[in-house]
Amino acid sequence: MEEMNVRKIKDYIVYTEGLEKTYKDNGLEVKAVRGIDLRLKSGEFTAVVGPSGSGKTTLLNIISGLDTATRGEVWLKGRLLSKMKKRELADFRRDNIGFIFQAYNLIPVLRVEENVEYIMLLQGVNKLERHKRVLEILDEVGLQGMGNRLPPKLSGGQQQRVAIARAMVSRPALILADEPTANLDSKTGGALLDMMKELNRKTGMTFLFSTHDNIVVERARRVITLQDGKILKDEVKER
Amino acid sequence: MWYPVKLAWRNIFRNKRRTYITAVAIGLGLASLIFSDAFIIGMKKNMIQSATSSFLGEAQIHQKGYRLTREVEKTVNNLPSVVKSLEGEDLVDRFALRTLTFGMITSPADVNSVLLVGIEPDKERKLSRIDDAINRGEFLSSETGRDIVIGSKLAEILDVGLGDRVVATCAQAGTGDLSQEMFRIAGIYTFNVREMDTGMAFIPLKKAQQMLGLENDVHEIAVKFKNMEDAAKENLPLWQKYSQEGNEMVSWAELLPDLKSVFEMTGIMLMIIGVILFAIVTFGVVNTLFMSLYERLFEFGVLRAVGTRPGGVRRLIILEAGAMALISIFVGAVLGFLLTFIFTKTGVDYRGIEFAGSTIYEMLYPVIHIRQYIIYPLAVFIFTLIIGLYPATVAARMSVTDAMRKSL
Repeated sequence: MEEMNVRKIKDYIVYTEGLEKTYKDNGLEVKAVRGIDLRLKSGEFTAVVGPSGSGKTTLLNIISGLDTATRGEVWLKGRLLSKMKKRELADFRRDNIGFIFQAYNLIPVLRVEENVEYIMLLQGVNKLERHKRVLEILDEVGLQGMGNRLPPKLSGGQQQRVAIARAMVSRPALILADEPTANLDSKTGGALLDMMKELNRKTGMTFLFSTHDNIVVERARRVITLQDGKILKDEVKER
Repeated sequence: MWYPVKLAWRNIFRNKRRTYITAVAIGLGLASLIFSDAFIIGMKKNMIQSATSSFLGEAQIHQKGYRLTREVEKTVNNLPSVVKSLEGEDLVDRFALRTLTFGMITSPADVNSVLLVGIEPDKERKLSRIDDAINRGEFLSSETGRDIVIGSKLAEILDVGLGDRVVATCAQAGTGDLSQEMFRIAGIYTFNVREMDTGMAFIPLKKAQQMLGLENDVHEIAVKFKNMEDAAKENLPLWQKYSQEGNEMVSWAELLPDLKSVFEMTGIMLMIIGVILFAIVTFGVVNTLFMSLYERLFEFGVLRAVGTRPGGVRRLIILEAGAMALISIFVGAVLGFLLTFIFTKTGVDYRGIEFAGSTIYEMLYPVIHIRQYIIYPLAVFIFTLIIGLYPATVAARMSVTDAMRKSL
């Protein structure tokens, strides 16, 4: 029976069971996530939607191991996160998860190509391979010839493209994007989403968005709606 | 360049004004430490020179026990062989023989007790500053004459001037019989040191030996080294060599324990300046790093999120502290050098000031030493890295989600 369970967990890139997260806010106990069972298969393009405070970001933080659940477990690529030590978890995240944040969060003193290659440096990829992969990914996100620029010299859309390149360059199994279009106009946001969808199709990487932006919802193949920390709806769109 | 170093170096220039202010604050502290050290070396050198060159010599040889009792009979043992040996000594520049005894000087007007010193005029002229300190008349001209040189205060007490006659009285060795000789005042000196100007008188060595019944014996050999610093080196074999057969050779440090204490005190002063500097470094570095840390919390959160280990964040902050230290050291070393260099040319005028029983005769010049640009900067660098550990550990231990939530 247990063996069956293990096999079942390994079928999913993300497998959560009974996730709960309670934290204290000004002395009051707040339940941000209440018993979420989420399963994502490899290659999915999924959006978690819901109003502010519904638990979207908390869920993404727990899935990525940035935060810990009060109750319940998370398996990523079949590995149970709660069993990993801090350092092991940092290495696991580096090798398997790419992050895209609302405010881009590039390192302003590093040039575009240095920002993108940072994760590969942590992974110990050699210089030649790093250079090759940086050029490839910048090409894919439409930033050819911009590798030498510093992030503050780029537009919001261009900065988010760099963030996408940074998240994808190490070819992680899962990309977590927290409100990636929130700071962008609809045209730029739409173009970026189309690009990510295309990359998802080409590379087979799994994308999980937290958003309340229709631009994302329209393009997601699966939409999970959260309310008060619980899954209200889980819809898979027909292709 | 190694990636974390590049990142740290660029990070500290994100807020240039803050970095420069911190670097200047730390740099000024370092510069003051460098200058203080140079000044103290110069002051020590000047004071030792003042103290030893006036009369004392950089070292002295006596019969053991003489310094304590000042007994006339305690003369230097085996004088001819000691003198011969000193003549062949590489480290020794020159030396002079002396007799010393307490006696009385009488004039028609008054009487005063003095330390009556028998000297070799030619040798003494090159070893001590009695000759230079004469402001009326001239120095002794022969080893046998009846000339005497006295201090200006003593001349006032005795109410005598150049060419006047005085009578010197002292006790002879062995018998203790009184011996009296009349002398003509050839010169009057001013050292601006009360004990010397009031209580000393110089007569030719041969005449002094004759008065004391010492034949060719002496009480003291004053020694001057080719390099003054050798006089402070306690481990030189020379000290042992001349501290045999009942004699002892002692350096100025032993002869002037007060001066030695003053130098020890200046060492403590330098340490206090050092402590102040390191307090500035502590506040400067901790403040700058924490300001920079709290401004970039989200960024550290992102770095951690994308897989940077806590140790990587810690290393980054320590490298930033190191980069800050390097800039501060550059500023401090340049300022310190310029300040010291200017004063090595202009000097500091403390002439005539008496300090710890020693009068400063010459301009005081700070001494630039390579050690000032190695030890102090290195200490600042290491100390800054150690101080940087605190903010670095705070950053490394910070929860990733908290860091990403708390962005300023």
